[in-house]
Amino acid sequence: MVLIELFWSFLKIGFTSFGGLSMIPLITSEMLSHGWMTASEVSDIVAIAEMTPGPLGLNCSTFAGIRTAGPLGAVVACLGVLTPTLTLCAVAAVFFNRFKNSRRMVQILTGVRPSCIGMVAGVIVSLSMTNYVQNGAVSLTSIAIGLVDLALLLKWKVSIPKVICLSAVLGLICFGVFQLP
Amino acid sequence: MQRYQQVLRLFLQFLKFGCFTFGGGWSIVAQMQKLYVEEQHVLSSEELLDLTSVGRSLPGIMISNVSMLYGYRAAGLLGGIACVGGLVLPPILILSLITCFYTAFQSNLWVMAAMAGVRTAVVPIIISAIIGMVRGAFRFPPCIAIAVLTFSLYLFWNVNCVWLVVIGAVCGILLSEYYERKEGGADGTH
Repeated sequence: MVLIELFWSFLKIGFTSFGGLSMIPLITSEMLSHGWMTASEVSDIVAIAEMTPGPLGLNCSTFAGIRTAGPLGAVVACLGVLTPTLTLCAVAAVFFNRFKNSRRMVQILTGVRPSCIGMVAGVIVSLSMTNYVQNGAVSLTSIAIGLVDLALLLKWKVSIPKVICLSAVLGLICFGVFQLP
Repeated sequence: MQRYQQVLRLFLQFLKFGCFTFGGGWSIVAQMQKLYVEEQHVLSSEELLDLTSVGRSLPGIMISNVSMLYGYRAAGLLGGIACVGGLVLPPILILSLITCFYTAFQSNLWVMAAMAGVRTAVVPIIISAIIGMVRGAFRFPPCIAIAVLTFSLYLFWNVNCVWLVVIGAVCGILLSEYYERKEGGADGTH
């Protein structure tokens, strides 16, 4: 049964990865070893998953599921990749809520909070290096739109959906109509 | 009855978040920061940072873990499932459509231009999410060193996020023990 195999594959992917791009090598090897996809299709998934809304892992699962077994395949693959959340994380939620005010947990969080801030700062830098580059060159237009977005978010407290829609429109105007670099 | 209303409300809130999940889940954290921390005051920015850290260090998709943790906190297990369900529904539907029109989508210049525009918003959104959390994240001065360390480990050595959280936890225990003893000694209670 392809559905059971699909579920099992994405269950493994879910439990052995920690989100985002770390899932790509696992997905690649699972897809190729089952002959569900070609290598070029896998790289297409990554491109699509990165530019559409939704977490990368979920997008890859949906795409791979539909390609191998239609809509039902997508549902099964997504359930597989979400299993760690629905099991392990649910248990963690129970424990976290029970112990979050304990002395040891407060101590642990004292260190985990700054470590998370450092990690996010790293994410910001690494994403900046890909998102503001178009066709291999630094795109001043992208940086300008990014600065407008930042000002709207921080200074005028514009909501995130509005900022995303505005950026799409600015992208259409700058990159589509005027073909700016 | 009230609990079911709360669960439904969570589902609808996360359904809306899910429509704008650009940037690998961080835009969800930013939207949670805006709604729950700044508008409704049902969560402090430190607590959101804690949920993010815990969600990040568990296997699977980071943002669905964060949603589960928040949902459980707000309305128990059912709340957690409602949040995860609401969050994942829009991306699955959108991507299913895209997969069908994949070739047309990929070669369309206008779609690419709009997506290039959206990509520019991802970093500002993450910055807006994290700026609110920086306050309160550094309990003792050396905590800044932890942030610098994890930043470098993540960026330059590609160290797995789980290890970064473990490093943070160990440093946190050591620092807290040190400062608690120091303060205890100064008070003469220790």
